[in-house]
Amino acid sequence: MATYNLKKDVFELLSKGGFICSNSSKPQTQKLYNYIDENFDKLEDYFIEINYFLTRGDEYFHFTRPEQKVDINRKLEQAFRWIDIVDFFKSYDSSFGSGYRFEPQEISVHLKVNATLKSKLKALKKYTGTDNELDGIKKLVERLRSDGFVELEDEVSDSYKVLASFSYLEALILNINLSEEVKDEIPE
Amino acid sequence: MYTFHSINELLNALVLGKELLGQMFGKRKSFDYRYDQAIEVLEESKVDSLIEKGVIIRNGRYLEIEDQLLSFFEQILDVNEEINISLINEHIMLLKENVDYYLAEDSEHRRYKYLRTIKAALRKIGFICLRNIVDLKRNIDNTFKTEPNYKIKIKKLENYDQRRIDIKQLIRITDKFVTEDELTFFAIAKDDELNRITTELRLQLQDGRHNLIETEKQIIDFLNQVKHQSKIIEKIRQVKYLKDQFELESKSDIISQLLEMNPVAFESRPTFPVKLSLDLLQEDDTYSIIKSINQRLKSSVKLKVPLAKAIDADFFNDTEETDVFINIDEMKNNFMATGHHLLDFVMQYDYPKEVSFEEIVTCYCQLISLYEDNFHFTDNYVTHMGSEFSVVYPK
Repeated sequence: MATYNLKKDVFELLSKGGFICSNSSKPQTQKLYNYIDENFDKLEDYFIEINYFLTRGDEYFHFTRPEQKVDINRKLEQAFRWIDIVDFFKSYDSSFGSGYRFEPQEISVHLKVNATLKSKLKALKKYTGTDNELDGIKKLVERLRSDGFVELEDEVSDSYKVLASFSYLEALILNINLSEEVKDEIPE
Repeated sequence: MYTFHSINELLNALVLGKELLGQMFGKRKSFDYRYDQAIEVLEESKVDSLIEKGVIIRNGRYLEIEDQLLSFFEQILDVNEEINISLINEHIMLLKENVDYYLAEDSEHRRYKYLRTIKAALRKIGFICLRNIVDLKRNIDNTFKTEPNYKIKIKKLENYDQRRIDIKQLIRITDKFVTEDELTFFAIAKDDELNRITTELRLQLQDGRHNLIETEKQIIDFLNQVKHQSKIIEKIRQVKYLKDQFELESKSDIISQLLEMNPVAFESRPTFPVKLSLDLLQEDDTYSIIKSINQRLKSSVKLKVPLAKAIDADFFNDTEETDVFINIDEMKNNFMATGHHLLDFVMQYDYPKEVSFEEIVTCYCQLISLYEDNFHFTDNYVTHMGSEFSVVYPK
């Protein structure tokens, strides 16, 4: 019975495009991570039957599909959005990555002294839909949260933790190969 | 340059400037301790005297602790950040020289003097080695955690790695010195304390070597992490630039990359709508949920309730209508009292109004159907106005 429930939870989390990360501070997610880790082969066979491919990343699990399911335009749109958001947070702090802790408030204070960051946030208005800086940052963080890359660690102080799944985004960007001559065109 | 004549004089000078030196030592890294600040802590004459004695150096408006003293304080307090391997080198040179002197010297008394120098140097080498390793570790850690510039961070870490190799080399030389190079000296000297110091030194060196292995691992790990990070940063910058120029699709292989993979994360969130069971919908709890959800739903469509016209005033006026009814029950009672058969009775009955023959027939039929049980039906018929009527008597 317990196993059945765990399978159900794994499906519910992953089928929505989520990630199960080892460094989550939620006990339930940790339990699920350990459960998948121990029963990976069994679960892989189990989910392939309903057309989901359980995939192991660097300290995280997620679902992929055996075949193309969404059209390339949607993928590009999603990838572009992630590139924008990752670029913003990496500009805030280059060590922004798995295990990093932050508060939206901190970032908004940092905007006051970092004009580049401020202009980047403005450029992201299409995602944030607001001129208010703190609200805008919160919207971006919320996007990362709903996509499963960060989690709310402390509600009182509104502090977030970056999950292991963030390395998926990093890997995604690192995998993009640019042609050699283009690299020289890009200013420092 | 002022020279101190005795250790007491130096100590006195340090005691005199105790508070000021303490403060300046605390701010030694910011290099901006001003003369005005100093004279608030200490009398001006005393500050001037310290400057005159060379304990403090004045540089325009700023003051600094004299370099030699500063490094002396740092070393004693274990807070120096520079890793100085030349010290070990010097000590090894000193050792070698003294060993030579020792072997060449005939006088027992002088030999003893050299031996003491050798022992002190040996003792120091082990200590300095370990100290350097600890400093190195701390510096590596600090650099990794606090240096914001990736290029400098990598350079610094690489330099520390070089230092690590140097320390390793020195440990090897020292070890060789104790175990191979100067075997004659150690055989001749035959001093218990020297043996003890040598053993201790070798243990320390052993310890140092083990620590260095750990440090090496750490440096490699840090360097890899930093390089990975800086690679990511660099890549993001490039990708973002191309994206903002709307050139990413044409100048990179992003499309083929994306075509190759099909993570669910790219799909829109699926919903699995389930119809609620009728049983559930009928429960009281569900009703309250439905009510609360309904409150949240704000439809922009406003329902237009059609209004009825005002009620005509005439409807409110009482209208009286009088009608005359034939009381069937009373008719029955009267009929029961008479001995006539029913048709006769209804024909002769004193009706409250004018009645037609059809109405009389209706009354006849109504009486029979209502009070069938009270009547006695005979088999005879009478014909009246072309219709046959059953002959009925009261019971």
